[in-house]
Parts: sequence; C-alpha cells; structure tokens
Amino acid sequence: MRELNQLYTIWYDELRGGDYELVGKKNANLGEMMHAGIPISPGFAITIHANDSFIEKTGIRSKIETLVKKNGEATDENIKKLSKTIMSEIESADIPSEIEEDILENYHKLCKKCNLDAVPAAVRSSGGVSMPGQMETYLNIRGDKDLIRYIKKCWSSSYNVEAIHYRVNRDMSVLFNIGVGIPKMVHSKVSGVIFTLNPINGDFSKISVDASYGLGEAIVSGLVTPDTYLIDKVTLELIKTKIGSKEIKCVYEADGSDIKKVDVDNELRKKSALTNQELAYLAETAVKIENYYGKAYDIEFGIDEDLPFPENVIVLQVRPESIWNKKKDMSGKIGKPADVMNIILNNLISGIKAG
Amino acid sequence: MAKKFLDPHEVKPILGTEGWEEMYPFYYQFSKTDKERMEYESSQLWFYDGLHYPEPHYPFDLIWDEAWYLALSQYNTRVFMVPPAKGIDHRIVNGYVYITPVGITDPKEIESRIPLFQKRAGYYYENWDKIYDKWVDKTKELIAELENISFPDLPEIEDESIVFDSSGLSSGYNLGIKYDELINMGFKVWQYHFEMLNLGYAAYVTFINTANEVFPDIPMHNLTKMVSGIDTVMYRPDEELIKLAKLAITLGIDPVIASQKKFDTLAEELKKSDKGISWLDALERARYPWFYISTGTGWYHHHISWNDNLDIPLSSINMYIEVIKDGKNPSRSTEKLIKERDETVEKYINLIKNEDQRNAFEETLKIARRVFPYVENHMFYVENWFHSVFWRKVRELAKIFVNNKIIDDVEDVWYLNRFEVKSLIDDLVRAWATGIIPAGRTYWPEKIKNRKVIIKKFQEWTPPPALGTPPEVVNEPFTIVLWGVTTGVLKNWLRSLEGTTSENITELQGSPGSAGIVEGKARVIRTVEQLDQLEKGEIMVAPTTSPSWAPVFTKIAGAVTDVGGPMCHAAIVCREYGLPTVVGTGNATAVIKTGDLIRINGNEGTVEIIEHR
Repeated sequence: MRELNQLYTIWYDELRGGDYELVGKKNANLGEMMHAGIPISPGFAITIHANDSFIEKTGIRSKIETLVKKNGEATDENIKKLSKTIMSEIESADIPSEIEEDILENYHKLCKKCNLDAVPAAVRSSGGVSMPGQMETYLNIRGDKDLIRYIKKCWSSSYNVEAIHYRVNRDMSVLFNIGVGIPKMVHSKVSGVIFTLNPINGDFSKISVDASYGLGEAIVSGLVTPDTYLIDKVTLELIKTKIGSKEIKCVYEADGSDIKKVDVDNELRKKSALTNQELAYLAETAVKIENYYGKAYDIEFGIDEDLPFPENVIVLQVRPESIWNKKKDMSGKIGKPADVMNIILNNLISGIKAG
Repeated sequence: MAKKFLDPHEVKPILGTEGWEEMYPFYYQFSKTDKERMEYESSQLWFYDGLHYPEPHYPFDLIWDEAWYLALSQYNTRVFMVPPAKGIDHRIVNGYVYITPVGITDPKEIESRIPLFQKRAGYYYENWDKIYDKWVDKTKELIAELENISFPDLPEIEDESIVFDSSGLSSGYNLGIKYDELINMGFKVWQYHFEMLNLGYAAYVTFINTANEVFPDIPMHNLTKMVSGIDTVMYRPDEELIKLAKLAITLGIDPVIASQKKFDTLAEELKKSDKGISWLDALERARYPWFYISTGTGWYHHHISWNDNLDIPLSSINMYIEVIKDGKNPSRSTEKLIKERDETVEKYINLIKNEDQRNAFEETLKIARRVFPYVENHMFYVENWFHSVFWRKVRELAKIFVNNKIIDDVEDVWYLNRFEVKSLIDDLVRAWATGIIPAGRTYWPEKIKNRKVIIKKFQEWTPPPALGTPPEVVNEPFTIVLWGVTTGVLKNWLRSLEGTTSENITELQGSPGSAGIVEGKARVIRTVEQLDQLEKGEIMVAPTTSPSWAPVFTKIAGAVTDVGGPMCHAAIVCREYGLPTVVGTGNATAVIKTGDLIRINGNEGTVEIIEHR
C-alpha cells in the first residue's frame, strides 16, 4: 500500500475531510464533498509534501531558513525584501523531475477524462490552516508549461507579503508550504443557484433553482432574469417552472483571460435552460447537500459543456442559507396543538388561504 | 376589468322557453317582487354548480338538489352551529342550478355559536368511527326499505284481503302513500348524507390549512395523497371488474366474452358450459351491491348503474382483459400505495423543525384520516347505490302512468316535478276509484312535449360560470376545496367576460388536479355514452367525471374538467393513474373543441390551446 504522506498527488475522490494535513483544507473539503456524493469538478490535489520536497530538493528551504535568521526584526521593509527573494527563488527554480512528471501525468489523465488536448484548469492554493484570501488562485490555466509555471506561482504566493505578515503576527513559522488543487475549469453552458428551501416564503419542503445560460456571474450579479423552478423536496416533482428572459450570458474570452457578455439567441431565451433530467439530478444533489450539512443550504452550480451527463452537473460552491435558517424557530399562527378542535374552529373562522 | 358578474335578475330568457319557471319549485326562482330578497340576491356571488350538474335539470331530478339544499344547510346553520357558516342557498336559471354560500359576519353571533359547535361537533369527532359504523348500518337499512317498496298497477278489483284483513285502506290510497314514502326516503338518505360530511370536510380542510402554513407551496395533491384511504369502497366496483377479467382469463373463456358486446347474448352462450356458469355466478355475486355504481355522478335519472345495463361493465371487463393480456396489471397495488403514502408523510414531518408546528401537522393529519373514509365512501351508498335503486323505483311507478295512458313513455316522467307527479297520482287514483278517465290524459302529455323542447334549448345554452357580486377574497373552505372556486379562478372568470370569444382564448386556468405535463388531441366528452369515442392518447375534456369512468383512465393521456377542486373525483382518480389533470377550468368544454391540440400542465393548473381544429 502506498504511504499517503509520501505522495505528490492525490485525486479528489481519494481524499477525505481529515486529510487536510496532507493536501490543505480546501482540497480535503472537496474530497469530503465528493465522498458524500456531491458532484464537484474533477481534478486532483498536489500535496503539501510535494511542495516540501520541491523546497527541500531545490535547496530553497535552507535559503529561506538562512534568510529568516539574517533578517532580524520583522519590519515591513524586511518582510518585503524577504518575500521578494523567496518568491523569485521559487518561481525560477525547476521542479524536480519526479514531482513534475507525477503532476503532468495526472494532468494528462484529466485531459483525457475531459476529452480535451489541454484542459483549462484552475490552480488553487490550499493551506493546511485557514489563511483566508492570503494566497493566490489562478483560473483557466492550460497546457503543461503554463500549468507548471502557475503551480510554482501558487506555491510562491504563500510567501507573499500579506501571507508572511499574517503568519508572523500569529507567531507562526515563516516557512509554510501548501497544497494545490488542480480541478478542471467548469465550462458552464448553464449555471445557477439552488436554495434547499423556497427563499420567498421559507417553505422547507421545497428546493428552488434559478438557472441561466453561461457562467454564474450573469445570475449572481443580476444581469438576467433566470428561469426559476420549484421542486418538492419529498417527492422530487417539479411544481413550478417560470421561463426567464435570459437575454445575455457571460462567457470566457477565447484565451480565458476575461469574461465577456454575449447576447442569447432568441429561440434559446424561450427555452428552459435546464433539462428535466438535469433538474432532477440537481434536486437530488441539493437534498444530499442539505442532509450532509444538516440545514438549509445555498448552492452554486454549473452544467459543464465538456462532460457528459451526469458528470457535467457540477457544484461550484456551497454555503448555509442565511435567512430562514435563523427564522425557523418562529412559531406560525398555529395554536397550541393540544386541542385539535380549536384548530378546526380557527380554520373555519379565519377561512382558507388557498388560491 | 369588470368588477361584477351579470346581476342574476338580468339573465336574458331563452326564446321558446317561455313558462319554464313552472317546471321547478317557486322558491328556486330569483325574486321578481320581493325587494329585500332581490337586494340580497344581487349582493351574493352565485356560481353555477357544474360539479354536480353538467346539464340542465329535468324537473323530477331536481329532488336531489332540494335534498342537499336542505340537508347541508340545516347541519351548518341549526344542528352543528358551524360558527361562521350558514347554509348554501340555491336558485335555478334557465334550468341550471346556481349556489351561494351564506356566511355569518356579525362577530358576536359567531362567538355565541362557538361553544355549541365545540360541544356538538366535538362529540362527532370523538366518536367518529362508532358513528360511522352506525351510519353504514342505518343507510343500508334504508336502502333495503327502498328496495321493498313496489308499485304494482291499480287493480280492476281489489284483492279480497282488503276485506278480510279489514285494513280499511285501498290500493289507490296506498299508491299515494307509497309515493310519499319514496320521496321521503330520498330526502332521508340526504339527511344522513350530510350528517357527517360537513364535519368531515371541516377536519380535512383544517389539515390542508395547517399543512399550508408549514409548507406554503406544498402541492394540494400531495396533501390529499397523505389523507386518502387506499382501500376505499369507491374503488371496489372497479376492482370487481378486474377480478372478473382475471377469472375469465384463468377459465380460458376470455375469447367468448370478448366476442360479445351484448350481455344477454353472452349469458346465453356462457350458460352452455360449466366454466361459463361459474363465471356468471361470480358476476352475480359482484353485482350486489357493487354494480350499483352509477355510470355518471348519480344525480341524473339517465345516470344508470351497471346493474341497469350490464353491457357497460361488460365492455369494461373486456378492456381489462386486453390490458391484462398486454402483460400489464391493472390492479392497484394497495400495499405499495400505502407504503409510498407513509414514507411521504414521514419525510414531510421530518422536515418540520418547530415542535408546535409538527404536533399541529400530525394531529390534524390524524383527524383528517379519521374522517376521510366517510368522506370518500358515503358517495357509494348515497349517490350510487341509493340513487340507482331510487331511479328504478320511479320508473316502476311511471309504468303505471303509461299503462293508464297518462304519459306515453316511462322516460317522460322526468319532465314532471315531484309535486306534479303527486298531483298526477291524485288525479289517477280518483279516476280509478270513480271509474272515469283521468283528467291528466291530455294535460300532461302537452306539458311534456313543450318541456322537451325547453330542456333541449337549455342544453344548447352555456350557463355563465357565475352571477352577482364576487367577494374580495374567497375564503369559504367548502367552496374552495369542493368546487375549486378560488379568488384566482373568479378573477379568470371575470376576465373572460371581457369580450373574449372561444376562438381567441388560448389559455385556461383551473386548479392542479394531478401533476405532470402532457400534450395531445382533445376530445370533449359530455356523457357516459360518448366514452367509447375516446382514442388512446387523447386528452379527455369533460364537465366532470364519475368513478365508474375508471377504465378509460388506462387509455387517455390526461384530463381536463370544467368544475371541481383538487378533491373532486377526476383529480383523485387521475392521481392514482398518474395522469396529468387540470380541474375547475370553468368552461373548458365550451372553449375546447374535439380535435384541438392542447397542452395541459397539471402542476400549475393551466391548459394551453396550441392549435384550434
């Protein structure tokens, strides 16, 4: 059996939440989600051990240690200098061939899985402890050369000024190596947002789905009226469908550098952005996520153009729903249940609110 | 938007129907003289009760409307003292019955009724099962009594037993008495009918409301599914047909059965073999009482039961034989349905985080389930079994009138109302007693001839869905759950008043009856006789449906009705068969023509007319 802590790369589906010491928290969480049956973008993690070995074998580690000793006080000036030196050392060094080959072998596997020569991937930093926003993530990286270059940039980002400051202020070691995640960039032909309740009235037995063409930016920033769907959580039947106007969509520029807005074809505007099959699968996924976390959740998803159903249904981000979760303890107008007779009476007197 | 419907006093008469009012009791007319009554009438919303009456009323058939007018109303107003609701008022316009719920608005009056309601209704809810058992017994007793009434023709010479028993009563006198008894039994069974029904619906509606508070978007059909009994009496007749179809296949006599459309000739054929005889025996056992199911709703004299015409169940048996030989099982898997229902309930309950809400949900569900067997089953005993026997008895009576040459045909009797039949009998027995020709011999046939023309004209008229003044919001629970008349539906009806003709209506709004979306050719079905016109995959468009139409549900792709809420029969059955259904559209049978391409959305209750034929 392979010793996990000796590996340079581990695929998401082999990871669990407890593996954060090996691959960093972000990677471990993705592995955990996958394990819970939540579909995420396919990809693999580059371990913290790979970063360690890189620093060790290239001699950067000892350089860092010497520099840290020599630099004396942690003034802004000194940290800036330190950061600059370390980052350029990392970015200019060659990755030892056994590590680089391992990474590229897995990248090629990912390309094959997606049926693309050079699949665009994200290069995401994943620290073993949370350091929100301190390190870099690079999007739309494709091809062996760029991949390696940006992995090094990602590694070096844990030595940027902010990151070093953050650690020094918390009495942490300057030396801090990280995991890196290489998921396929989700090439969303359709994307959207799910709530595992009806956000309008807080009905916990519903799943509401908003969807529109292209990248999620169009919905999230309110550029379009999306299609909205309401699904019953228990029976998974589609209760309501409202086709939105969906005039534009957001897509990546050809080189992946930026996002642009494009008009949506007239015929497509009138159609449902999601198929019934995709909706059903999304609803099941939403239920899984809610059950997994034990409360109502807000989920971003994309339908990937490069993958077949159901692998194309990809969860991009999840977070707890923030309004109704807090309100759930409010009792409604329902009286004390001890006396059904009173409930019947109240109903007869106040009438029915249907229609 | 027009704010009001046409005032009930301003409905235009139909040319050639002059004098139609005398066909019905005077108290069914919108007033023309009493100012106070007229004011009240104008201020109410009257909606056409197409749920019960897809056709205009034959004078005699109005008896059932009179019966429920009385029974429903008295239980609300005078017996159980339902705090905010009095009875439902009735009127007739051009042969069509319009109804309006009468509410109580004075808070003090409502308040004073509360303790009475609690005590009285509380007693029923607490003892529900016991009272229901008793109800079944006494209703069966009444039906047995009805079966026992007979109407032999008046004898030339009275039997000598009259003399030797010294009873002192003649056959002529007894005929009048027996007619009164028949009518009284009709009213009596409807007293029973509403003894438990209003309370049953109140408990049921309470559950619906409670569930809606917890889950505002829960589809109505999921709620009804949670409450519905799986093993109810109303499904029995159909199950008997399936059993007979299976038996025929087991015995290997299905080709013989399929070869005959007429039951009488088939019976002759079957009697030639032992297997045939044993199948006929099984059929005979199923007939009483299960073949007393009506082919319609039971409200009209021509809604005959299977027992009245065995060709009808025979054709259904053949339909089932085909289905079974296709390798499909037409039987409902009650075990599976119960399991599904219980799982659904449990999943919803698990979603309720607040304890008070969960208790309220569970408690109201419990009481809704307790009352529901009555709500579902009473129909078989009253509208089907009792009515079927009743119609047969009236025909027996009418035969005397034909024999005495007062009317030409048994079926003419329906053109006379119950008071007129009584006076016909009075005339007849006096003439019999005196030994002269009855006066009615020329009087009634003339009236009947005119009335046939009138009824025909009524049939050609489309009654407006509502008259009078709509309330701000509809919140009367029975109106919503049974008739599907909601604030939204009223708005649609009002909108349709604004100069739209049926050609330019492309969408109809009703209530979601059964989930799913389907597209297909429409076929408008108005009576049971038209059922065999339905082609596989068509969407049935009907005023309303009857439980005995069940076999066609294996054939059609969906259904649309003019009237009915989520609890109406069409909705319940279509859910069982998983057929997309929209109920309570108001005027689908008028707007949609056979052959139109339509798309129905049973999730949202909409019907789209894609292409007019």
